[in-house]
Amino acid sequence: MIISFLNALPGSVAQGLIWGILGLGVAVSYQIMDYADLTVDGSFATGGAVCAVSIAAGYSAGFSLVFAALAGMLAGFVTGTLHTRLKIPAILAGILSQLALYSINMRIMGKSNITISRTKYALLLSSANISHALVVAVAITIVLVLTLVWFFRTEIGYAVRATGNNEKMARAQGIDTDAMKRLGLIISNGLVGISGALLAQFQGNADINMGRGAIVIGLAAVVIGSRLMRHHERFVLRFSGTLLGSISYYVVLSVVIYLGLSTVDLKLFTACLVALFLARPGQKRRAA
Amino acid sequence: MTQKKNLVLAMLALILVFMLSGCNTPAPAPTPTPEPKTVFKIGIVQLAEFPALDAATQGFQDALTEKLPDQVEFDLQNAQGEQTNATTIVNKFVNDKVSLIMANATNSVKAAREATSTIPIVGTSVTDYVKSGLVESNEAPGGNVTGASDNNPVDVQVELLAALVPDAEVVGIVFSSAEENSEIQAVEAKAALEAKGYEVKIYTVADSNEIQTVVTKACTEVDAFYEPSDNLIASNVPTMANITTAAGIPVITAESSMCEAGFLATYSISYYDLGHKAGEMAFEILVNGADPATTPIFTFDTSNLTLFINQEVADALGIVIPEGLLK
Repeated sequence: MIISFLNALPGSVAQGLIWGILGLGVAVSYQIMDYADLTVDGSFATGGAVCAVSIAAGYSAGFSLVFAALAGMLAGFVTGTLHTRLKIPAILAGILSQLALYSINMRIMGKSNITISRTKYALLLSSANISHALVVAVAITIVLVLTLVWFFRTEIGYAVRATGNNEKMARAQGIDTDAMKRLGLIISNGLVGISGALLAQFQGNADINMGRGAIVIGLAAVVIGSRLMRHHERFVLRFSGTLLGSISYYVVLSVVIYLGLSTVDLKLFTACLVALFLARPGQKRRAA
Repeated sequence: MTQKKNLVLAMLALILVFMLSGCNTPAPAPTPTPEPKTVFKIGIVQLAEFPALDAATQGFQDALTEKLPDQVEFDLQNAQGEQTNATTIVNKFVNDKVSLIMANATNSVKAAREATSTIPIVGTSVTDYVKSGLVESNEAPGGNVTGASDNNPVDVQVELLAALVPDAEVVGIVFSSAEENSEIQAVEAKAALEAKGYEVKIYTVADSNEIQTVVTKACTEVDAFYEPSDNLIASNVPTMANITTAAGIPVITAESSMCEAGFLATYSISYYDLGHKAGEMAFEILVNGADPATTPIFTFDTSNLTLFINQEVADALGIVIPEGLLK
């Protein structure tokens, strides 16, 4: 049984890395911007949809990632505009975008499911070849983490962080906090779009429902990650923590399945796990 | 401030009204019909979008268009896998006073049955009308629902599995926990497999994101899979096939389009023929006044089955198809 579990491990790690990119997006919105963005469930599927449609239209798998990122960014911009310009509360703005994106994703794909077969197209990665998928996923996540770290050290990156830390103070310093919020959401959902696109390639199809519950997985990655890194402030560690969190989430998931947890109870288990990890930082903040 | 807010709200409401009215094409004015031909308006609700269901819908439409050229008008709506969409669609049909509803897949028949007890409903792609609580009995349905069943003799699939994977001892079945139709098939398959001495392991998934994790685990425990015509799995065959083929585990399935999409083999009914049969039943109801309550459920027999093999998958798995099978 242990052997069979070890055999499944690389698959869990690859899956964890791909979802970890979504985790990075959630880290930007939830951790840095202090904004609970529910657009994610929609923009994740948007990423997958745009990727599948562009690959089927003959674009290379690499380009399709760029398109997916742009589509995700657009979704983030819409949520940001709903929130900052129309003054719709953060959670509701996200829920509205998520809802609207269902129809938009259907329009993008034209149907509820598009197959992108690895035998027909040159994909970046596929679950049929795990070791190759692992290498690609690691490379992509390294590039993304380094880019994020670089960005949050630029002047505008500091402005985004300041807005998340203390909006009033940031505004007093002359920062256009509304613009920074929109920018944060654009970056966050761009990452989510990339993650959706990679998952679509990994599993060989994009599905209208692939984003369902994505925010929970993203949150799990972020909160588990910040526990693992002991709430370290350095960005490299924070972001790597999120990736580690996502990987641990999938490894833990396969462990409990191997231990015999019925697959019917997976969702309940996930919710409990996230609640457990979410509860602890809360205690700490009150104590501080 | 509040005034400004109200203004914005009012504008948004207006925009919404315009958008909605823009979507609704105005009901066609009653055209003066010189000839006495009645045009039957038929609402088709299809649960999800994948080849089997598409083929059944096509067969249904073709059957009616052949028998009643220029006398049928179809309103084809797809619920995209969501039960709530199916309910919305059938309520629209009831409001439009359609002559007949064709409901494709179990959950759409359920939605239609809830929405009306007077408009005749013809179902297709439903495995067991009785177990799903849609009719009283297959011989005499007793209500406004009848239809064609996609139940295919699972024994034949078990034989196929035995022929292609002679060493198999443990067989896995993966299906969506939200689909009663699949559970019925899984229970039947389990009984048939156990009768032949196989050990059967059943796995359920709640959504497409769980397929990867669950199937990876299942691959370490089974020698072969039998996949019922589950809507979620059917829409996500590549996700599962990527893993099973890489792990060297063959998948026998209940339905030909799933085989084409990446599973090894099946003895399958043709969903086009199934839909065609449903179309013929609809014709009887519309034109010859047949009563759904006394129109028996149609089921194919074994002679209608065709063998499908995905040669690409067979090669990848290193399985040589026995000569006897390829007739």
